[in-house]
Order: sequence, then C-alpha cells, then structure tokens
Amino acid sequence: MAALSTAFPRARRARGEASRAKTNSRSPLERQHRRMFWPFAAPAVIFYTVIFLVPIGYAAWTSFYKWDGVSDKKWRGWKNYQVLFDDPAFRSSLTNTLKILFVGGACTFVIAFGLTMALREMRARLFARSVIFFPCLVNAMVFGILAGFLFSPDGPVNQVLHDVGVSTPPKWLSTDNQFPMILGTIIWTATGYYTAIIMAGVDQIPTYLYEAAELDGCNAFQRFRHVTLPLAWEVISVCAVLWTVSSLQIFELILAFGGTQNSAAPPVNSWNTAMYVYETAFPPRSTPQLGMATAAAMVALVLIGFITLVLRRVMRRAAIEY
Amino acid sequence: MTTTPRRLAAVGTAAVIAAAGLSACSSSSGSGSKDGFTYWSMWTAQEPQGQAIKKLFDQYTAETGVKVDVQFLGRDVNTRIVPAITANKAPDLWDQGSDVIYGSAASTGQALDLTPVLSMQVPGEGKTVGEIIPAKYNQALPKDSNGVQNWVIPYIVSSAEFFYNAADPDIKAAMPTPPATWADFIKVCDALKAKSKPCLASEGEDDWTNGLIFDYRLNAAGVNFADLTNDKTGAAWDNPAVLKAAQETDQLIAGHYVVPGYDATKTPAQETAWASGKDAFFMNGSWVTSETGKEVASTWKYGAMLPPGVTAPDSMTFGFTIPKKAKHADAAEKFIAWFVQQKNMAALASTADTLTTRTDVPAPADLTDVQKALDSSAVRLTFDGQSGDDVYTKVFAQNFLDFWHGKLAPEQFVAKVKATQVSYWKSQS
Repeated sequence: MAALSTAFPRARRARGEASRAKTNSRSPLERQHRRMFWPFAAPAVIFYTVIFLVPIGYAAWTSFYKWDGVSDKKWRGWKNYQVLFDDPAFRSSLTNTLKILFVGGACTFVIAFGLTMALREMRARLFARSVIFFPCLVNAMVFGILAGFLFSPDGPVNQVLHDVGVSTPPKWLSTDNQFPMILGTIIWTATGYYTAIIMAGVDQIPTYLYEAAELDGCNAFQRFRHVTLPLAWEVISVCAVLWTVSSLQIFELILAFGGTQNSAAPPVNSWNTAMYVYETAFPPRSTPQLGMATAAAMVALVLIGFITLVLRRVMRRAAIEY
Repeated sequence: MTTTPRRLAAVGTAAVIAAAGLSACSSSSGSGSKDGFTYWSMWTAQEPQGQAIKKLFDQYTAETGVKVDVQFLGRDVNTRIVPAITANKAPDLWDQGSDVIYGSAASTGQALDLTPVLSMQVPGEGKTVGEIIPAKYNQALPKDSNGVQNWVIPYIVSSAEFFYNAADPDIKAAMPTPPATWADFIKVCDALKAKSKPCLASEGEDDWTNGLIFDYRLNAAGVNFADLTNDKTGAAWDNPAVLKAAQETDQLIAGHYVVPGYDATKTPAQETAWASGKDAFFMNGSWVTSETGKEVASTWKYGAMLPPGVTAPDSMTFGFTIPKKAKHADAAEKFIAWFVQQKNMAALASTADTLTTRTDVPAPADLTDVQKALDSSAVRLTFDGQSGDDVYTKVFAQNFLDFWHGKLAPEQFVAKVKATQVSYWKSQS
C-alpha cells in the first residue's frame, strides 16, 4: 500500500493522508515526474511481462510435467530434474557451458585487454579495430564449413605448420578436439566484439591522465593497470554480464561443427546446455520430451542468473568521475 | 537425412519451446480452399525432389481443379509440425522420412490411419494403392501409439549399402564376384591394399554411416540392434555374437583398411575424396548417388552391395502422412491415390535420381543394384529403428566413435557401451 501511495500522489491527496507536508516539499517538476512514471513505464512493464516473464513461468510449470507437445501433460514433479542430474549427457553439457563461460571468458577478456593496450597507442587503430571486429560479423555456419577446409590433415593450417618444421601437427578435427576447437572459435569471434566495446569506454578517458602517468614513468602495462582498468571498469563490468548471458546462448556453432548430414546429433561430449535443450525438445527421430527440455533450460537460466548476480556484486565499484 | 542448415533454421523455434512453451510456434494456416488442401513439404523448392513434386502438384491442380497450398519447408518441417498440431493449425498433408514422422506424430497417435487409402483406386491403373505399394515397407515400421500400422504412405525408398565404382579396374580386379562372407570381403580389402587403395571411405565424425557397418554385422550375426540397446540390464551385450560383430568391424580399423586421416576430417571431405576415386567402398544411404553425381568422372558406374551375410537390406522410406486434426483429410487422401500413379512416380525417379516404392518404376541407372536388394521379400530399418533415439545418441554414438577411431578394442567397446547403457536406463527409470 505504501508503494501504491507513493506511486499515486493524487489518490493519496484525495484521501487526505498525513504525508501532505512531505509531498508538498517536492518540487513541481519532481511531482510531475512521479505522476508520469506509470503511464510511461506501464507499456514496457506489460510488454516485458507478456513476452518474457509469462513464458518463463510457463516453461517452469512445464518442467514439472512429462509432455510430448501434443498429448496431455503428465505430472512428474521434480523427477525431470532428478533424471536430468542423473544423465551424464546433461552433466557434461553443463560442464561445457561452464567451460565456455569461465575458460572462454577468461581467455576472451585477457586477449581483449591486451588488444586494448596495444590498440590505444597504435596508429591506424580504427582500421585495426574494424579488422578484429570482423569475425564477429561472420555467421557461425561459415566457421563450421571453413574449419573442414582449414584444419583438414592436408589443409592450409597444417601446411604452414609443416613449413615451420612441425612434422606431426594435432588432429584438429578429431572428435576429441571438437570442443576445444569450438571454444577457440568462440574466443576468436568474441574477442573483437568485446575489444570494440571496451575501446569505446577507453576512448572516453581523458588523454591527460595517460600523459600524467607517462610523466610518472608508467610503462604500457602500468598505464593499463592504473588508468585504463579503473576508469573503464563500468564498461568492463557490463561486458562481463553480456558475456555471461551470451555464453548460455551459444548453439549454432556446436551444431555446425559437430552436426553432419546423416548424424542424429553432434557428439554428446561437445554439447552445451542449449544443445541439450534443442536435442531433447526436437530429437530428429524420436518423441519430443518438452518437460525435460524446459527443465534443462530452467537449470541453465537459474545458473546463469545466479552467476550474473554474483558477478554484478563482485564487480561493483564506486563510480569514478573524470 | 537432417541437414545442418535446416536444423539451424529451427533454432528460434527451439528457443521458444525452451523458454516459452508452445506459445508462438505455429506459423501457417491449416485451412485450405473449399475443395483444396494444404501441404507442407520436407523438400526445399530447389532440391530435385522438390522440383519434381512441385510439378506434380501443379499438374494435379490443372487436372482436377483442386487448389493446393504448397509450402516447401525443408527438413525443418518436423520441428514445426508438433506445435502446429498442438495449435490445431496443422497442414492437411505433409511428408518426411518415416522415422521422423513416427517420432514427431505417429508415436503420439497424431497421424491419421491411412489404411483406407490403401483401398483407393489409383486413377487409370485398375489397381489399389495397396496393390502397388509393397506392404513390407510399412510392416517394417513400428505401430503408432494406437496400434495403427499404416500411418504413412511411402513414395520414396532408400537403402544403405557399400557403394563403389563398378568401373574401377582396381575394384574389378580385387572383386571379380561379390564376396560371400565377411572374410571374403576382408580379402577384397587386402587386394585393394596391395594396390595402395584404401578399402573404405569414412566420414570419421559420423556415427551414423559408420555405425551402419556395425549394425549390419549385428544383423548378420542374428542380433537386433533395438533389442540390444533397449535391454535395461545390459546383459544383451554379453551375447558372443555381439562381440563377434564388434571384432569384424574392428578388422577394418585394425587392418588399416579405412582411408588414412578419416578421424580428423569433416564431412563431406571423405565423400568428395571417394567420388574422386581415392578409395573403394563407402557405406551410405542411396542418396549418395545424387549427392556425388556431379563430382564423379564420366567413366564412373555406381555399384552397391550389402555387406556379406546380411539377412535383409535396410529401408528408409519417405512418405505422405495426414495429421489426425487435418481439416481436409479427404482431399489429401485423394491426392495420395493420384500421386502414386506410375507416370508420376517415374517422373519423380528420373528427376530426382531416386528410388520410388513402386517396383514397376525402373530404378535410375545409378541405383539398379539397390533396387535389386530391395526386391527381397522383407526389409528392416536402419539400426532396427533405434537410430536417432535418445539411447542411440547418448549411449551408442559416442562410444562407437571412440571404437571406430581405434581408441577402444572390441572387448572394451562392448563393455563400455554395456556400462553406459545400464546407467542410462537406470537414470530413465
């Protein structure tokens, strides 16, 4: 009720509530802002609720049923979740998701920071930025197809390795190397994207701060450590959340790398949770298990939601004004 | 049978299913015109099959005046059909591989019983549909959840065999007559090896085509793959015949008869290499002839043979089915009876370089050997119908690839699949 009263000062005034003095103390502009809050916010709130919250609620509800999408739902309670965690395929999918999140994330950001240090001080940096951003524009399907050409035993990569004296190069495309290759491609494509965002933040840092650091005798790493990192922290924090959320959605690259024309699915050891959800919801030749699929999706959602919250908390810093 | 690009196109649908249930999946109206019906095709408009079928639909409308709303959705059709049925917006007619139709509709009792269609007259032929489409194809399929056998009318049939270039002098010299036993086949491989020609092409990452060799060895040893993998105790893997099948399969790997580097390439690298004559045999579905037809030399002559000792060729049929909730099922049924006319099926066979289910439609030259094999009195399903099922994907596929890549000996492979299978079924109980 308190919230309602705050939200609707006109109604509160009509009821003659005691907080009149406090309300009157607000400026006319502030009162106007408060009056217009819900008319402006309501469409977005309704839209968000209908498009996101209701479907998530429906998915959560479905996850407690056995359902093929057509027949009547059968209540299974927490059994779907129990089966899920007993399923080695799901456990390995979850592990792969976390590998993408943490290993992929660490590599991506370390490289992005390195590039940031180099790009900030190089000539033709706008051109260089465009070049490193380019992989982000290419569809994952292209990488899946290109990999077969580039990394085949007698492909260009191995030819270069032979030329520099590597006589037994790795079997890049073996099923054991499939997930590391996928991870490498994710890092390669994501690095340019995050470097571009971090660089946009770095561009806002006044150059005199760098000049001062240089006068103090800081080398490039020290300038990054003491100037770039703290002043671009808010942007980096947003990038970390973006990465966390987007890592959950990676799907097509795994399908493109591992799927073959005849194969029922990519090898299970290369699945992440998104792939697990897809294969469970749309098995090519067996009955859909939508309850299990939504249970897997809910686990991934909760996990990523939790990690995002922790990340926001850990990365929270007082804003530095400059 | 399911291509990666098409499956990719279903990503959006998958996401919606995962996050939003089935709120927004249906995409098309299921209503047809007064005398017409709607059809969702598993083919794309660019594929030869799609082109041939498009012509036949146009012809049908011209002949009968019945309007058909045709949508060429490609393999994505199977991800769209379930939400469409749920939303009561299903097409009146759709087609797919029978295994896919079973998984998405028949297994849940959502496919119409087409037994009455078998009694319908084929226009101008004085025969019924049931008299011209061999019953063995449907008899090989599982019954739907209501006990219905005829939930699909198959019009195209494929089979998996060892394909080779019958005009290749190396192969002709090594194999004057088809091998009668597996040991004879290994001798053929030895003869080819002596000429520095790998006996077998293999897309090493593909558990399905490579697994077919093991599946056929099991069949030759009298073991049913589906029974084997459905055994919750795993005891079926203790059958000595299973180990024998694994050992025979292993002969190809341990004997280095498979093309070198097969375990580190990506589809379709090895298929392309095979089509250029680098190796001899390639286990694949009979669509391989249309896939490689433009790549092979003009002297190439497709031959196909079943692995020695096999009791029945496998069959993969593609056919029409009608959702139970179809609004114009009668019109769709009439069309099926019209479609299976000899002239129509012959046009389909020649345009798409494919085998039809009519025995009186000659096979394209590339597929005469396959048609001969399919003339047998009985056929079986690949992996006895288990391919693409959860237990196949999660239990068999990964372990088989390790075995196929030489990382597991036959005994280790059998023991590992057995253990994985027991724990899989335990988790599902």
